Amino acid sequence: MVSTIQQGDIMMNFKPKKFVVWLFVVSSTIMFGGWTSYYLVFSASKGKGHGLVLPDAFIYSTIVLVLSSVFLFLAAKSLKRGDRKQQQVFLWITFVLGLVFGFLQFQGWSGLYHTGAALVNNNAAISMIYVVSGFHLLHIVAGLCLILNSLIGSYRNVSQEVATYRQDIASIFWHFIDILWIYLYVFLLLNS
Amino acid sequence: MSTISLQDTHHDDHGHGHHHETFLTKYVFSQDHKMIAKQFLITGIIMAVIAMALSILFRIQLAWPDQTFPLLETFLGKWAEGGRIKPDFFLALVTIHGTIMVFFVLTAGLSGTFSNLLIPLQLGARDMASPFLNMLSYWFFFGACVVMMGSFFTQTGPASAGWTVYPPLSAVPKAMPGSNIGMTLWLISMVMFVASSLMGGINYVSTVLNMRTKGMDLWKMPLTIWAFFLTAILGILSFPVLVAGVVLLVFDRSFGTSFYLSDMVFGTQIMPNEGGSPILWQHLFWFLGHPEVYIVIMPALGISSEIISVNSRKPIFGYHAMVYSLIGITVLSFIVWGHHMFVTGMNPLLGGVFMITTLIIAVPSAVKTFNYLATLWRGNIRFTPAMLFAIGLVSFFISGGLTGIFLGNASLDINLHDTYFVVAHFHLVMGSAAIFGMLAGVYHWYPKMFGRMMNPKLAYLHFWITFICAYLVFFPLHFLGLDGVPRRYYAFTEFEFMQKWLTVNVFVTWAAIIAALAQVAFLFNFFYSIFKGKKAPQNPWEANTLEWTTPVEHLHGNWPGEIPTVYRWPYDYSKPGAEHDFIPQTVPFSQTMSSNLPHDFEGNEEAERIQKEWEANNKPAQ
Repeated sequence: MVSTIQQGDIMMNFKPKKFVVWLFVVSSTIMFGGWTSYYLVFSASKGKGHGLVLPDAFIYSTIVLVLSSVFLFLAAKSLKRGDRKQQQVFLWITFVLGLVFGFLQFQGWSGLYHTGAALVNNNAAISMIYVVSGFHLLHIVAGLCLILNSLIGSYRNVSQEVATYRQDIASIFWHFIDILWIYLYVFLLLNS
Repeated sequence: MSTISLQDTHHDDHGHGHHHETFLTKYVFSQDHKMIAKQFLITGIIMAVIAMALSILFRIQLAWPDQTFPLLETFLGKWAEGGRIKPDFFLALVTIHGTIMVFFVLTAGLSGTFSNLLIPLQLGARDMASPFLNMLSYWFFFGACVVMMGSFFTQTGPASAGWTVYPPLSAVPKAMPGSNIGMTLWLISMVMFVASSLMGGINYVSTVLNMRTKGMDLWKMPLTIWAFFLTAILGILSFPVLVAGVVLLVFDRSFGTSFYLSDMVFGTQIMPNEGGSPILWQHLFWFLGHPEVYIVIMPALGISSEIISVNSRKPIFGYHAMVYSLIGITVLSFIVWGHHMFVTGMNPLLGGVFMITTLIIAVPSAVKTFNYLATLWRGNIRFTPAMLFAIGLVSFFISGGLTGIFLGNASLDINLHDTYFVVAHFHLVMGSAAIFGMLAGVYHWYPKMFGRMMNPKLAYLHFWITFICAYLVFFPLHFLGLDGVPRRYYAFTEFEFMQKWLTVNVFVTWAAIIAALAQVAFLFNFFYSIFKGKKAPQNPWEANTLEWTTPVEHLHGNWPGEIPTVYRWPYDYSKPGAEHDFIPQTVPFSQTMSSNLPHDFEGNEEAERIQKEWEANNKPAQ
């Protein structure tokens, strides 16, 4: 009897925790909303945006990030089928693609820097490119930790509930930062 | 990875109580919401005492600008050379006083304490959604306090740009002494604080939405929970914007960007920054800053709703109206921030829009006030200390709120902006009112927190002196403001038109000192009663809510057996026909046949039929 109550408690506890991740997504969205609204008000009052052609590296990184989301989706599907081996493969691919994304972002920044659009700039709109993409990259680091967490769970053969929970929070967060980057990239393209 | 395993063991412990607690896991790195609430409260009280001491220091300067106090030099060293507080230090004092009071005492100390204590207890949950995140929330808050206090021990002193830290003062390290390392520490402390608030707020919202006990639908929640819930939502939606603003400020300070800076000359040196706008900081800051004042007052309003209802022995007047007012305040608080910026050269049309939204927010606030008064009306009032403080809150909320209508008016604000009128307004409506709400909560839930009662005589002494002195301190400041005396000025002797107010300043300072001394009664009562107070009974105030069904001795998981089920709303006080003047939420309607009313059944026809049958069989013998 006691053990069934206990089980119930554990089951109950995943839902609120997943909800915590959603709420974090909301507050993070608002932080980036703060920056993009700064950008809009700034460029409206000064009559200028960043005025740059964004480096190609950002296009490649966008594609890589979308691909990583696809593989994470496949990992979740494999887990649902109970195929842990395949889940691990897909998670690893996602992880590596995340690293590639980070590398490409650095490429993008160095491209910007070499064309003279440095972080320290008299045009705050250009500085803003670095701020939003930099803080997005911090989110990627956090996302990679969640993917690792899911991977470790998979290797340690945790119960299906726990594995699903870990996979779920990694998915929620990773798809969020994927969409977030697309938003930021399109925003910067449209408001040059 | 340790975090995950910690969480897992934690859940295994539910309903058992056989886990081994060390001093470290029980009192320091506790994951129990009740212990975390106490940690928040005691840290909050310590920070409040510090901030109060700072205010006494600058009040002394304002009252006697020409006198020397050698004792000050003994304590403050070079910041009070020759026994007189230096202008730079004066600015640091008002800045840190504001920061500590608004963020550390009235946000973390108030919300942190009572959300943590009451959300699980009043909703019937074993703990928060994520106890680990909850613990982290406290330790980030503690770290923020330590960093903020640490800035007093730097060569150039703490941040001095005011609690709103407007650039360029805050963005250029050499602008003034306080803009140096003190400002950096302020920003670090604030980032930690926001992290703490977000972790707390996210946890509260998730707990309220997911972990209510059986029968506890949203419309059966006590108003305290509604207030904490909406406060947490406000925090989640507004604090990230402050982070966004602070990050840009850090870039301007430390890396040389120009988000907020432009066209500055220092002496003969032209600063390289160009193209930024300090007004944009004000927008980002006040987008948080205004919701922040509601983050401060709403938990206090929720607490007083509960306390006023319990101690009037009457249901709260207009329960639904109270909830809708809170929701209205929550929504409206996001579209009024511009009223802090009427004199920044804002487009008058935009000023008009912000003026209208500001005046509209007075409506839900007034609804709440009238509901408090209607609850008190012909109630069977018990003047417990908590009740006095709750009534005190209503008083401050009215007298401070009325001046808000003046300040919200864009044209009147041209005269009143940045004067002592503003100081008087917000110290009454959010300072005194919120602190009274917090004290009311402490007196009311002390038995739940510590299992002992506080001494009521000392509490009455504390209340009356604090209440009277708060008015004596803040009411005269309105008249200084109407005369155009600006806030944050160091010495009133420097301006001829301000000199006539010196005597008023002396009066205000004495009132402040007496109020500060009255807090000794509270502090003694609080800490003494933890160890020596009278043992608390199960339900000392005869209240309906769930927290009084838990054992007086705390235990992990809150209820020894199953979590109780909830059958009714929390405000069945003095219900006609009932045996007692209160019916706890856990009592089913089948046990109170003599007092059930048709609308209690929410349209359940079977229950209505049974009730009618019972009434037919038990006609009163007349």
